[in-house]
Amino acid sequence: MKNKILLFLILSTISQTAGKAQTPSDALMMDKNELCIALLYQNDKWDEYWEGTLLRDNQNIGVLTRNTFMPMVAYGVTKKFNIIASLPYVETEASRGQMVGASGLQDFGIFVKYLLYELKKESGSLVTFISGGFSLPVSSYLSDYMPFSLGLGTQEFSLRGILKYEHKSGIYLRGSYAYLHRTTTEAERDYYYADGSHYTTTMDVPNASTFDIALGGWLLNKSIQLEVGYLQQSALSGDDIRRQNAGQPTNKMDMTSGNARLRYFPTILKGTSIMAGYSEVFSGRNIGKSSIISGGITYQFMVKKAQL
Amino acid sequence: MISHSYSYKSYLILTLISIMVFSQGCEKDLPRFVAFEPYSFVNSDDNGGTWKQVLLTNIEQIKIDIPAAPGSDAYKNELTSAKAAIAAMSAGDEKTIQYWGNNPIIRWNEIARELAAKYNLIPPPNADGTYTLPDPANPGKFPYFPFAHPPYSSRVYAYMSVAQFDALIATWHYKYKYTRPALYKSDSSVKQSLPTSDTPSYPSDGAVIGAVSRDILSAMFPLETEYLKGKAEELKEALLLSGLHVQSDITAGDSLGRGVAKIVLQRAAVDGMKAAQTPKPISDSIKNAAFVRFGWKWTNQETPERPVGLTPFFGKVKTWSVPDLVAVRPPAPPAIGSEEFIKAADELKNIAKNITTEQRKIANWWSDGFNTTTPPGHWNKFASDYLIKYKYNPLRSARVLAYMNMAIQDAGISCWDAKYYYHYPRPIEAIPGFKGILGTPNFPSYTSGHSTFSAAAAAVLAHIFPAEKMQVEEWANEAAESRIYGGIHYRFDSEAGLEQGRKVAEYTISRAMIDGAN
Repeated sequence: MKNKILLFLILSTISQTAGKAQTPSDALMMDKNELCIALLYQNDKWDEYWEGTLLRDNQNIGVLTRNTFMPMVAYGVTKKFNIIASLPYVETEASRGQMVGASGLQDFGIFVKYLLYELKKESGSLVTFISGGFSLPVSSYLSDYMPFSLGLGTQEFSLRGILKYEHKSGIYLRGSYAYLHRTTTEAERDYYYADGSHYTTTMDVPNASTFDIALGGWLLNKSIQLEVGYLQQSALSGDDIRRQNAGQPTNKMDMTSGNARLRYFPTILKGTSIMAGYSEVFSGRNIGKSSIISGGITYQFMVKKAQL
Repeated sequence: MISHSYSYKSYLILTLISIMVFSQGCEKDLPRFVAFEPYSFVNSDDNGGTWKQVLLTNIEQIKIDIPAAPGSDAYKNELTSAKAAIAAMSAGDEKTIQYWGNNPIIRWNEIARELAAKYNLIPPPNADGTYTLPDPANPGKFPYFPFAHPPYSSRVYAYMSVAQFDALIATWHYKYKYTRPALYKSDSSVKQSLPTSDTPSYPSDGAVIGAVSRDILSAMFPLETEYLKGKAEELKEALLLSGLHVQSDITAGDSLGRGVAKIVLQRAAVDGMKAAQTPKPISDSIKNAAFVRFGWKWTNQETPERPVGLTPFFGKVKTWSVPDLVAVRPPAPPAIGSEEFIKAADELKNIAKNITTEQRKIANWWSDGFNTTTPPGHWNKFASDYLIKYKYNPLRSARVLAYMNMAIQDAGISCWDAKYYYHYPRPIEAIPGFKGILGTPNFPSYTSGHSTFSAAAAAVLAHIFPAEKMQVEEWANEAAESRIYGGIHYRFDSEAGLEQGRKVAEYTISRAMIDGAN
């Protein structure tokens, strides 16, 4: 069982303003022909945000809540090669003011993960993964409706490298670096101002990089996994929200956050796991100072090979 | 441990890293200004110097020097130095010449729109819940002056366009008085970078446009004085390298433009705009007067509440063409709670509940809110595109923009007169729990500003470009409709605004019909 632990979903890598669904950045793989289905939930709230680098509140927003419901499936094509797909439904709402929130399907994402290198020794193990992903909007949601927009409205190509060392005691350290390449998004106006005039409906959404590091371990005969982590996301270009302006997809959205996660594998329900997490944004730029609570259940089982 | 698979993996990683590095270098190139090629004018308007000016009363009110004759030593010296400068021209200079083209009216309108967008941000609340207004006496102190809201911007566009128009009528007068030929006509060896024209070159119309636009915009956007000076200098440099002009054409144009700007700004100083943003006691008395008169009043719904609406006395600013604002003021809107009001409110609630993607697009397309060129700016973009499409010369271009922008500002003044006379509450105030997709502005509901601005602009454009009548009227109607979709106006606000804008524009059009340009 331990060797075929399912996919661990990093709930807190969701950047709230970017609105992107999570990308698989864990260091675990599923066996060949193993299928995992998951239902994940995330509640992201902020009552302060960074207007450029200035942290402020806005009493015409009050608390901005973003709820994400995300079904997800993962499949082990081989022991070394997994495919993951997800489709989040997002709803946003402000507690004050007269601007209406938004809701709907966000971006369909598909990811592959490949076990690049594995070194097992008696004292512990070292593994390296590489994962790539692609996502695209599946509804006609408007990205140029910050802070209510469901997402950035772009296609996103992600490339991630993951390195993990696990000591024989079960304590592990994992780090990953990802590069997110984003295409443009379409606004519903043909002129916008972002460090000067733009005569087009097309908005350049900055590419980004993320770096995260996590320390974790296993308790109670590996029925509980605990992890604390740090995440840093940096946009590689973009403009700042000017004073008293609304955000727009062209903004440089940066943040650092810390998170803690717990996952429980009940022995009585084989193949099932329950997840809970909490994440807090420490610093940021053009982004909300979010507190994120997440939870989810997963179920994993072997798929019989079809007889030909 | 070097194995085949290990090297394969290293290769894979290297490839992926290089893809990442490469794709980071892919900047997405998006248009930062309207792209168009310099074009030959459809008409040179040789009699342009006889057209009626808007503010200037005498065609030679601003005097310029008598130019040196083409055969004179003075002219020959100028010709030699212009040729030397052209010979030393860089590829960058060539690009600058093409950017400005031979109708800099289009670029200066674009610059004005960009500054409107840049300054179109409302002051944020202070930590103690109060608000600070921009201070024209101290523009660099936050919140910066100006807050280029729609009334402010409508006035910017109007003054700049009127000044350009008056200055170019004088320019045309002098051009045909002195009939100095273009440089490349005096010396056929001169490299000429813009389309040819038979219009005499003294004074340079481009230099006039640069000077007059720079001075008007510097007065309206004082923090941009240096930037605007740089743009005007760049234009003068481009004109000298274009092969059309010698230095004295440009010098004379510059001084003519600056002289006209000075006269036009004298009107701006006393047009009533300084008093448009009233202090709270006056705002409150305007509000109470409406309440006594009609039994309703508008109140800002933001938190913290903005104590004063936007420019309550913009309705008292001097109009360009409308003699009597009461004559174009629409009748009172339906009483709150009346059958007609409930019908309009139900329509808004229904749209908010079932908004279609098409309705959302229309609302956003016309939103023209903060950080944009404002509704008047949106119409300036349309007008600029028509100037290019119809290959108008600078004088005729300035005429289009002057009449359109006078009509737009008058529409704004008339609209603000109605807004603060009726002081009618917005949907978010009068309909419990109502929310929309656009932010509600800080002024009363009736009539809709966008509808009024748009109908006035469309009427002038339809008069000048009859073939575009259907298109511009469709746009105006859509702009009016967009406010209903966005949830910031009742249908009766929009309908009354359209009617009001059309009425205002009639005064402008009747003026345009007898200015000698038809």
